[in-house]
Amino acid sequence: MSVYKLSMEQMRDWISRLIAERTLYGVQQRDERFVFGRVERPEELRLDYDVTILPPKKYVMPPRENLLAYLPQEHYESLWADEPFVPLGVHPYDFVAIRQLDLLFERDNPDEHYLRRRKAAAIVVVDVERVSANVFAGCVGTAVVEEGFDGLLTRVEDGYLLEVRGAKGEWLVSLAESLAPATRADLRQRREVWANNRRRLRKHELKVTPERVGQLLRESYGHPIWEEKARQCYSCGSCNLVCPTCYCFDVRDESDWSLRKGVRYRVWDGCLLEEFAMVAGGHNFRAAKAARYRHRYYRKGLYVPEIIGQLACVGCGRCITACTTGIANPVEVFNRLQEEPHEQHAAC
Amino acid sequence: MSNMPRAEQETVRDIYRPRPASIVRTADVTRIEKLFELELESGEALGHMPGQFVEVSLAGFGEAPISVSSSPTRGPRFELVVRRVGALTGALHRLKPGDRVGIRGPFGTWFPVDSDLRGRDVLFICGGIGLVPVRSAIQYVVDKRSHYGHMFILFGARTPADRLFSDEYEQWCAPGEATFLETVDKRDARWTGAEGVLTTLIPCIRFDPGRTVAVICGPPVMYRFVIVELKQRGMAEDNMFVSLERRMKCGVGKCGHCQMNHIYVCQKGPVFRLSEITDLEEAL
Amino acid sequence: MGKPRVAIFDFACCEGCQLQIANMDEDLLKLIELVEPVEWREAMSEKSDRYDIAIVEGSITRPEDERRVRDIRRRAETLIALGSCATHGGLNKLRNRFPMEEVRRTVYGESASMPHLDSGRVKAVQEVVSVDLKIYGCPIEIAELSRMIRELVAGRRPLVPNYPVCVECKLRENVCRYEYDEICLGPVTRAGCNARCPSNGMWCFGCRGPVDRPNVNAARDVMERYRKTVEDLVGKLELFWTGEERING
Repeated sequence: MSVYKLSMEQMRDWISRLIAERTLYGVQQRDERFVFGRVERPEELRLDYDVTILPPKKYVMPPRENLLAYLPQEHYESLWADEPFVPLGVHPYDFVAIRQLDLLFERDNPDEHYLRRRKAAAIVVVDVERVSANVFAGCVGTAVVEEGFDGLLTRVEDGYLLEVRGAKGEWLVSLAESLAPATRADLRQRREVWANNRRRLRKHELKVTPERVGQLLRESYGHPIWEEKARQCYSCGSCNLVCPTCYCFDVRDESDWSLRKGVRYRVWDGCLLEEFAMVAGGHNFRAAKAARYRHRYYRKGLYVPEIIGQLACVGCGRCITACTTGIANPVEVFNRLQEEPHEQHAAC
Repeated sequence: MSNMPRAEQETVRDIYRPRPASIVRTADVTRIEKLFELELESGEALGHMPGQFVEVSLAGFGEAPISVSSSPTRGPRFELVVRRVGALTGALHRLKPGDRVGIRGPFGTWFPVDSDLRGRDVLFICGGIGLVPVRSAIQYVVDKRSHYGHMFILFGARTPADRLFSDEYEQWCAPGEATFLETVDKRDARWTGAEGVLTTLIPCIRFDPGRTVAVICGPPVMYRFVIVELKQRGMAEDNMFVSLERRMKCGVGKCGHCQMNHIYVCQKGPVFRLSEITDLEEAL
Repeated sequence: MGKPRVAIFDFACCEGCQLQIANMDEDLLKLIELVEPVEWREAMSEKSDRYDIAIVEGSITRPEDERRVRDIRRRAETLIALGSCATHGGLNKLRNRFPMEEVRRTVYGESASMPHLDSGRVKAVQEVVSVDLKIYGCPIEIAELSRMIRELVAGRRPLVPNYPVCVECKLRENVCRYEYDEICLGPVTRAGCNARCPSNGMWCFGCRGPVDRPNVNAARDVMERYRKTVEDLVGKLELFWTGEERING
């Protein structure tokens, strides 16, 4: 295991080197909130943020991504983005989400557009310092990650620990000057951070185990909660758009002024939006608000887990914050399904 | 963004990049449905099975999922029948022989012409443009007539003007034992045939539910009624196949639009064995 | 086939949407390579009765305006309603809440009875003639106008979003206006502006009008959560949505 210790000064130098060598994305403050953006000076970077408005998913699956260029006569050329870049300061739950996307885009019909971008990324995770208002990663096993990353930063008393893995990790550490290996005491501190985070990142307490959520949903399709909550749903898609594991997209064409050339691109879509399942003739296969509302929970708790073998909610809590009517809290919904099983309702 | 040289482009499999195809022939099928005979410019056959669909691409307009209407037994060219419902299909209708379109696919599952249907009596029940994908299977059966028993075709159109492929019915029935019945929801002055919904044809045929396999395709409202009738006649859900429409945008199981509960219809469908989806709330 | 002939007409409005077109800079040059402007009072002196596309800005308020817009409709193959005044009646509709006599007296004083000021209830263009395409906004968005004209000229049906402003606002990573305890109409308002107001530090005023099925009842229900009243909400909605039945859910 390669774990190094960086003093605050070494950390600053290392980030300067990263900026010089690669496109660096990191967290910056925006009003009282935080966003991932291009970092051009080390002092812009915030590693002590609580949660970002959008997840760093946006670097491996951009909100708008050109897929093809089209030319006259139905000629199509693939457009690729494979320039290397570094997203630095990704929280563990967001990293787990990216790993889930890896599985989904790799399987069956590999999506080269995603995979190339992903391959070009050297992802540096940072352990959470500040707990956000609605995070519940501790309840779904995503408060801490121990594998898959290229680099992992942890704040300790007088600096940061940096663990690196693989070739990208070696490259990351090669940019830092004469690093000392972490001491036993350092590693002990890191274990404490992890233990604390598993305990601390629980602003909502999930009363079912992640493994049980799928079965719970199987028993709850007709539960009154779907209708009840959906009455207050704007169908605005905010819960989808801020979600680190949502990956549905629409594909559109846009021509340039010549009208003969243009690009085919994909944009994030959301299953809560009214026309998500509407076909060209106008028939809407998921016209009911409650059905769309339910579909999101089933995607997170049952349908995607059936494919990848893990809960597709990583507990970032962004949907809870983003939903202005307060109906998007997965913990509240799953707890309610647990506490008031559907059969009880059926009986009365 | 990097634009790779053409040679390298060809070696990378981009699941979103269409293959060029050219239009060989067009024919009006109805007032709003048009047939396109297509040929991949590579010269290869499409490699489809009856019931599968392709994404038809028109630069600037986007893509639409369209089922293949011809049988692979009829050579490397293939036929699509397109209903004019929006901008893309409207533009397709304006194309002429020699024009090009993009094609991705074939995608999805197919009618089990080489397994479940083989050696059995087959019952095709189609409403409106539901006949478009089923025509591929009908042609397949006709071309390998000795592999199948009696063929029943029940077809319902809204009006006589909405009938599809009416000049082909005779050829379909010629090579073997066949029963063809049709009806229209609403007759016109010249129509002398049956009037009524599609399900009214089911009592008119005698079939052995133990040795018959049904293929059902039509508008969303049709399925439940047809299925109830067939069940009353003793047909098992295992022996019924349906083809379902959804918003199949990417065709490769990624974009999420066609999902029906946990199932991506572009992957596990559009053709389903009924028994596989009867418990699926969003299916029928 | 020649370039489509385009005429721009204004009715009751501030002409700010036309001004947006005039301000397109280089894109305006690209635009007139695609279409031939034949009448546009704000930018050219020519007039014409022959045009393929009519762009109508402003709301319809007088009997003579109704006659004029019907005439435009007859001549144009495609009629585009440009901007909130045309698509919904816009701010102008605020006056429909008062007796017209009182409105006229308040605005024009002693001249109120002059014949050319015979201004009545405000109508959106579609309340008088059929409209083929609406370009929403107060003012309109140039990027959206450019895209829609390109698509129209290419024979495509321009995509008109039927989802709320929140979609675009989230993609721009704005801090939600509700986090500032403001009433923002983003969740019920049709997108297409790329969340212009929330991206510039203001709540959404709803200028593009409602999505097809806005959940106004949900908005009412959550006012308390933000220490606001339903009256506060209705006050915000009335600015651009007067006459929209959907205010009442």
